[in-house]
Amino acid sequence: MIFLKAVKEARVISARKTKKFLKFAGLPLAIFTIVLVVPFVNGFYYTFTDWNGFKTTKLIGFSNYADSFADPKFWSTLKFTALFVVVSLVLVNVVAFGLALIVTSKLRSRNILRTFFFVPNLIGGVVLGVIWQFIFNSALVTLANKYDWELFKQSWLQDTNKAFWALIIVTVWQSSGYMMIIYITGLVSIENDVLEASQIDGASPLRTLFSIKIPLMAQAFTIALFLTLRGGFMAYDVNVALTGGGPFRTTELISLHIFQDAFGEGNFGTGQSKAVIMFIVVALAALVQVTISKRYEVQR
Amino acid sequence: MKKSMKLGALALTSALALSVVVVATPSATAATCKKKTEVVMLGTIKVEIQNEFLAAASAYNRSQNCYTLKSVPGDRSLTFLQNVAPKYAAKDAPTIMYTLQEIPDMADKVMDWKGTKLVKLVSPGLLEAAKVGGKQVGVPSTAEAFGLLYNKKVIKAAGIDVTKIKTRADLEAAFKKLQAAGKKPLHFSAIWWSLGAHFTNIFHTNVGKTKEARLSGLDDLVAGKANLANNGTFKNWVATMDLLKKYNAGKVNLTDTEYDASIANLAGGDFGFMFQGNWTEPNLITASKGDDFGIMPLPISNNAKDYGNDSIPVGVPGYFMIDEQQSTTWQRKGAIDFLTWLYTSPAGQKRVAGPVEEGGMNFIPVYKGFKIEPKTFMAKEISKFVVAGKTLDWMNSYYPAGLQEEVGKVSMQQYFTDKISAADLAKAIENAWKGKPKTWRGEAA
Repeated sequence: MIFLKAVKEARVISARKTKKFLKFAGLPLAIFTIVLVVPFVNGFYYTFTDWNGFKTTKLIGFSNYADSFADPKFWSTLKFTALFVVVSLVLVNVVAFGLALIVTSKLRSRNILRTFFFVPNLIGGVVLGVIWQFIFNSALVTLANKYDWELFKQSWLQDTNKAFWALIIVTVWQSSGYMMIIYITGLVSIENDVLEASQIDGASPLRTLFSIKIPLMAQAFTIALFLTLRGGFMAYDVNVALTGGGPFRTTELISLHIFQDAFGEGNFGTGQSKAVIMFIVVALAALVQVTISKRYEVQR
Repeated sequence: MKKSMKLGALALTSALALSVVVVATPSATAATCKKKTEVVMLGTIKVEIQNEFLAAASAYNRSQNCYTLKSVPGDRSLTFLQNVAPKYAAKDAPTIMYTLQEIPDMADKVMDWKGTKLVKLVSPGLLEAAKVGGKQVGVPSTAEAFGLLYNKKVIKAAGIDVTKIKTRADLEAAFKKLQAAGKKPLHFSAIWWSLGAHFTNIFHTNVGKTKEARLSGLDDLVAGKANLANNGTFKNWVATMDLLKKYNAGKVNLTDTEYDASIANLAGGDFGFMFQGNWTEPNLITASKGDDFGIMPLPISNNAKDYGNDSIPVGVPGYFMIDEQQSTTWQRKGAIDFLTWLYTSPAGQKRVAGPVEEGGMNFIPVYKGFKIEPKTFMAKEISKFVVAGKTLDWMNSYYPAGLQEEVGKVSMQQYFTDKISAADLAKAIENAWKGKPKTWRGEAA
């Protein structure tokens, strides 16, 4: 009897819990399902069909994937994207961490600087791309010809290697402000007693940075590295607006390449399967990065 | 709760069904419509005449009370398919669409124009590019031409008679004359669509004297049998490009911003020639405050009698298509009514062929019975070429979707900036064509 009562009570509680869960999470969950899960599953299904952007007529197995892997442009784009991810990941975080150190120091102008460094992040990627296109294409070239600066005499956007660095410069300029905020929260969350203890022990500022500050704010690194990694793989708007993939379609990042393949040339099947491949690559890279970064996080 | 929802859904469905019935019943004649049907068109034909087109649309909307034509802007940085595919997926397809190379992609989604008033007014030659498997997929907007444009004032001052330029050597002599007169010979655009669609057409259209010969040139490319490096026409074409590159005085710029610079250059009075099309004429006239600009053939060989040296490529830049899958009968009727009004009524014709200063689009008429003729110098020159039969095909109408981007943005711009050799260019063009669907032979895109 007591047992049955307990079961009944447990049921009531679980029903109540479900109700509560649905009340709070129902709407977000539904939206998540509709705008993310359904299109994703649908898109995944399309990769096995002869989808032409408008309709599908039959299942064709893995041939879209085979075609994707056989496309030399896909490989060169993937390589270019990987390089872009690595370089932008390193530079964005180094710059962002440096900026965070500056604005958390005892500088008088630190509040103004914080705003100043963050502003580029508030400008949309396309606008930013257009502004920088003007800088690289016209402003710098004109100045270079006037004052004889060899480096900028020809537009950077007309040379593959220089266009790559142009992409990196704009990306660093745009996203380091945001990552800086994350590093600032990490830096200010370190308790003063630890820092004071290290000072009393006679640790140099550099020693404090590497042995106290960085280990204690490893969480901030996990987040910032994840965001820049993802951002690098997904970069699209700056790519379109700054280089447009040019010169000679050599600076197309993977997102732009997929978009061109599907909508430009009408290869919706391979475009979609490349998107799935890219999803797997990004998911794996992010998983590896988070697992490794987590190891460096310490609990106090 | 559940019941009431079901009831609500039922009410909604029946209301929807009812509205469909109401719309679908052709209860009124065209002249006395109780309710206006909205007809959506994607874009405004071309961005250059956007304001003029929108003015024409509102004039049409005022002229009758059955339909409201509404133009929704597409994203200009995207191709036609990039704009249209998401709209179809969202069940929000525009009723009127306008494009050229994507016609085969759209053939199964749009209406057959056969038997309509407009089709009967066009010469069959101009309908060909929009015929897919016997179905008349689209009707033409206008005729356009490209070739060597020139600034009449500059050419005259340098003592050049363009009618005497019949070979590549003549052209070089003219460039030298311009240099001697202290002028810049030409602006040769590296802009990708100019190279990818128009300049490549100069080769493809000079390949053979008959349409069949030209099309089989494309067949060979698709089959991988074309040996461009040993093709006489190709060699001449490359030599012509080399010549234009050599005398190019424009600043090389591979981005789209180059277009404005080229207009400013030719209109500015410093440059003699430019490789472009007559769509630049309104912009040139505006930029130069009323100068005259002409058009002449681009001779690619040194024998004046060779095919093509005395002709300019004239073609239809785009065709109007009407969606059949997601539009109502009334919307389709409205779409036909608007386009028929635009090209056959006196008010519409004034909008289409009238000069830009008077709010017209300065289009060269392609429908019979036009009361208005274009007045500008270049438009009149093109008419002369058409009348004399000195026209070349726009083989670029047959380019598969994405090919002109691939060739224009990659190999042509690479050759333009001396990154690859002529042999590499030949290989790159061959590779770009290999295995592409032969839509000109009725293959599905």
